[in-house]
Amino acid sequence: METQDNVLEIKNLLKVFPGVRAVDDVSFDIKRNTVHCLVGENGAGKSTLIKILTGVYQQTGGHVLLNGHEYNPQNPRDAKQQGISTLFQELNVVDQLTVEENLTLGMEDTWLGFLRRTDKINKMVDVMKSIEPSINPRQQVSSLSVAQKQIVEIAKAVAAETDIIIMDEPTAAISESEIERLFTIIRNLREKDVTVIYISHRLDEIFELGDYVTVLRDGCHITTSPVAQIEDRSELIRMMIGKTVFDEYTPPEDPCQDAVLQVRHLSNHRLTDISFDVKQSEIAGFYGLVGAGKTELARAIFGADYYEGEITFKGQTLQPGPEKAIAAGITLVPEERRTQGLFTILTIRGNIPVMNMGKISHNGFINAAQERSATIDYVDRLNISTNSIEKETAKLSGGNQQKVVLSKCLFADADLLMLDEPTRGIDVGAKSEIYSIIRELSREGKTIMIFSSELPEIMNVCDTIYLMYDGVLKDVLKNNCDIDSENILHIVTGGN
Amino acid sequence: MATRQQTHESLLTKKMSDESYITLFMVGVLVAVFSAASLAVPNFYLPQNILNLITNNWYIVILGIGVTFIMITGNFDMSVGGTIALTGVLAVYFSQASNVSQNALANGLGLPYGVAVALALLGALAVGGINAFFIAQLKVPSIIVTLGTMMLARGVAQVITQGAQRNTSLPAVFGVVGSWTVPGTSIQLSVLIMVALIAIAYFVERKTVFARRVYLIGANPEAARLSGINVGRYLTILYLVNALLAGITGILLASEYKAGISSRAMGYEFDALVIVLLGGVSIMGGFGSVLGMFVGAIILSVVTSAATGLLLSPDWQFTLKSVVTFIAILGQRFALDKRKG
Repeated sequence: METQDNVLEIKNLLKVFPGVRAVDDVSFDIKRNTVHCLVGENGAGKSTLIKILTGVYQQTGGHVLLNGHEYNPQNPRDAKQQGISTLFQELNVVDQLTVEENLTLGMEDTWLGFLRRTDKINKMVDVMKSIEPSINPRQQVSSLSVAQKQIVEIAKAVAAETDIIIMDEPTAAISESEIERLFTIIRNLREKDVTVIYISHRLDEIFELGDYVTVLRDGCHITTSPVAQIEDRSELIRMMIGKTVFDEYTPPEDPCQDAVLQVRHLSNHRLTDISFDVKQSEIAGFYGLVGAGKTELARAIFGADYYEGEITFKGQTLQPGPEKAIAAGITLVPEERRTQGLFTILTIRGNIPVMNMGKISHNGFINAAQERSATIDYVDRLNISTNSIEKETAKLSGGNQQKVVLSKCLFADADLLMLDEPTRGIDVGAKSEIYSIIRELSREGKTIMIFSSELPEIMNVCDTIYLMYDGVLKDVLKNNCDIDSENILHIVTGGN
Repeated sequence: MATRQQTHESLLTKKMSDESYITLFMVGVLVAVFSAASLAVPNFYLPQNILNLITNNWYIVILGIGVTFIMITGNFDMSVGGTIALTGVLAVYFSQASNVSQNALANGLGLPYGVAVALALLGALAVGGINAFFIAQLKVPSIIVTLGTMMLARGVAQVITQGAQRNTSLPAVFGVVGSWTVPGTSIQLSVLIMVALIAIAYFVERKTVFARRVYLIGANPEAARLSGINVGRYLTILYLVNALLAGITGILLASEYKAGISSRAMGYEFDALVIVLLGGVSIMGGFGSVLGMFVGAIILSVVTSAATGLLLSPDWQFTLKSVVTFIAILGQRFALDKRKG
């Protein structure tokens, strides 16, 4: 009888990546026809867990039981057939087709390759109508809003008699009124015999919507309890961050007072009226959750994206454009190292000098000896582990790849170094190495800006902490011993 | 300290670059194909024939130089054949004496030869400029843009020649560059130009910051932009240079034939593409070499020439080219995969 109440049982689930236990012996149950929320900081193991449930990853150990039976999907399609659908942030609808064509996509009835209008379409359309009557099935999907597209996907999953729909940050890109509508639909889903696993960084939503909540931290299961038994968001936040001790941070000895970078009224499609100053040799941290606008801010300052407003660097107005930023002494370690930072098909030697070719060339001709010795210099300094500087960077580990990108930026001799998610996806050892490099650079007089969604990282190394939410700079804090991490999480999750 | 020094030396362990490896691989293929052809075809191994194999396709090789660099950035240029036709026709039209005949095709502008060549090359640069504008500024895919300018260039040439050719009332000087040979040999000036261009291109490719950035753009355009490379400027320069190379080829061919023919160089853009691919240049960008392209050109030349020697009907030329291309490119993929393990 017990098993009938639990639609999903996760038992001792383990997933190990080289150097990190992303999901560490996690066990909890999900009750049938509930909305079960999953919370945790970035890197807590939420996405790895979801990827195991949807068949993207295979677990290293442990079991998952779906409806009491062993569940071990080989790929997302398999997961779907066994009864777990996912609503990803990147929606899986085809804009060029109509709503009803999308509903039956992949399971059309055909005759000699031509579409047949059968009962199946009508059934699907009925399901959708029962969920949201206002969508016209003959409408082109491209004319729908993001929320309406989500509803089409939900309807498709419901009609396929799915047991569980996983929703990953469904409210990240939709408006307030649409959120209300989506919530009503989610609440009604339990009547259609569907369980929802709901992931969101907006903690208020969990109290509004959730029946149960599971908190993960550093790959471990912290608790699973009915939402009603949780007092308030502070209690939730406490469970999310635990007793993280930020004892590594020591304030600089002689804080310098000259503002080297001044940003005034910076706005663009994702940012609203951002102004701040960064002082010389300061380590400034920009903290916010995914989608808060950190990457957009970094790219705007670097001139990679369009913006309005004024940026002054070392007393001079900064002209937009990466090549101008680099010439002025600003470099960026971008968020996605493989697609934006690294030339993966080239060697280490082919990567490190690219931002400052003048240093290894004369009149446009490369000095091969200088190039090699400069590369070796950085391989040494940053302790990049490789057997040759002629090694293709695609073959390096994540941490070493990040060190190559970092070397590339350091080689440009910049005075201001911006790092966007500098330690994402790299192991603990490489992380602490990168932190000590950052501290050392600051001691040498370089100014550092770190954009990160990992609070411990920000608290460990940054002198000043800027909090961002939804494209707005919400607060500025000086890092010191009695900084209140609960308050920080309160602000970056949308609280006041 | 000693161990430090040692580590550095081992870090420097010189491994042949993948480009050199593929070029050597293709040299191996060339030797094999040439040996087989020498066994099958009488007199194939004679020095004069070898010289012909290397020099006969000088115009495709010159085109291949520019196309190699463009493909290393991950782009295409299909307009080179049309540019050759346009430049040749323009050079003839500008050089033809004015008002000498009732026949419109016999009358030109009567400009001095040097001026005519310079203006014709400006015509080629105009084609390159259009390519560069759409590709570098408006970010239109290069295959679309250059297919358009391929037809545009040939179309203008057809209008000027009324769909045929111009070959009368040309000054004697017009034929000189195309027919001059090194005294005592059959080596044309055009071949010397090809050799000089290959040498320059090889030097540029290996030694300059410019070429290094060309590779970076092909390897990852977004990372290149974020590394401060002005991608648009590099593409603009490359398309202009490529158009200029096609223009020079057009002038040389028009001079050799003493005619401006609107259907000249039909399909050369594909031949250039084939030798570039045979030479191991990656269609994804970021990888390849001019020397490899040159080896690819000779392989193609050996195969087509051997086929003719074996009395295979010329109708089989295209089929043969396609088979060679397929086999060679599959071979390269295999060799590279094997090397990378």
